[in-house]
Amino acid sequence: MPRKPNNSRQTRALLAAFLERSRTWRHGYDLSKETGLSSGTLYPLLMRLSEQGLLEERWQQAERPGLPPRHVYRLTASGLALAREQELAAIAAERAGAFA
Amino acid sequence: MNAVSSRWRRWAMRLAQHAAGVMPGARSPWADAMRRELDYIEHDSAALRWALGCVLASYRLRLADRPWWSARGNWRHVAASSMLMLLVGLAFHDRADGQTEPPRPALNETTCDRIDAPVSVRRNHDNADAERVQPDCADRDRLNRPDIQPDR
Repeated sequence: MPRKPNNSRQTRALLAAFLERSRTWRHGYDLSKETGLSSGTLYPLLMRLSEQGLLEERWQQAERPGLPPRHVYRLTASGLALAREQELAAIAAERAGAFA
Repeated sequence: MNAVSSRWRRWAMRLAQHAAGVMPGARSPWADAMRRELDYIEHDSAALRWALGCVLASYRLRLADRPWWSARGNWRHVAASSMLMLLVGLAFHDRADGQTEPPRPALNETTCDRIDAPVSVRRNHDNADAERVQPDCADRDRLNRPDIQPDR
C-alpha cells in the first residue's frame, strides 16, 4: 500500500506549527525550536513543501542592524487546507482512540 | 565570549559553509537560508548542532538529486544484474548437459549383491542395537542361505 504523501510525523508536526500562527511569517530556527526538528530534518521538509506549492518563502530584512536578511516561510492556501485537513484527521483519530 | 565557545562558533560557520558548497546549485538559496540562521542563534553549542544538521540536509539533498540514486535508476541496475545472473546460470546449465546429480562412485559399498564384498552398516548411536546388522542387508543374505539357520 503506497504511503500517503506529507503524512509523516515530522511533516504533521511542521504543518501544525504553521497552522498555529497561519498568517505569520516563520523562520527556520523558530520552527526548529517549536517542533523539535533538527535543521537536517526541517529544511528538506520545507523544500519539499515549497516545491509542492504548499509553502511560500521570502527574504525578510533583519530587525536589528548588522544582521543578514532571513528566509521566512508561510503556508499557501493549499498548504493551509492540507494542514487543517490533517488537524481534523488527528482529532478524529484521537476521539476514535478514546471511544475504543 | 570565551575561547572555547568562539572555537565552536568558528566550527559551526565552517560546517555551514561546507554544507552550502555540497548543496545542489538549484537549492543554493536554501543553503544561504540555513547558513544565515546561524547569526540568529545565540548559544554556540546550539549553533554547532544547527550547522551539523545543515551538513546532513545538504548531503541528503545531494544524494537525492543524483540520477543513479533514484528509484528508477536502482530498478534498472537490479534488472540488469538479474538478467546477467540468469544468463550465467543458463550457460552453466547447458554445460552440465542435463546432469542433475553428482556422478556415482565406481563401487557402491552399500549394496549387498556380492557375498564376499564388505558390508557397510549404518550406525545409529542412539539405538541400543546399533551394532546389529540391518535385515535389509547382511541378514537378507543369511535368510537366503539354507546352510545358515536364522536366529530364533
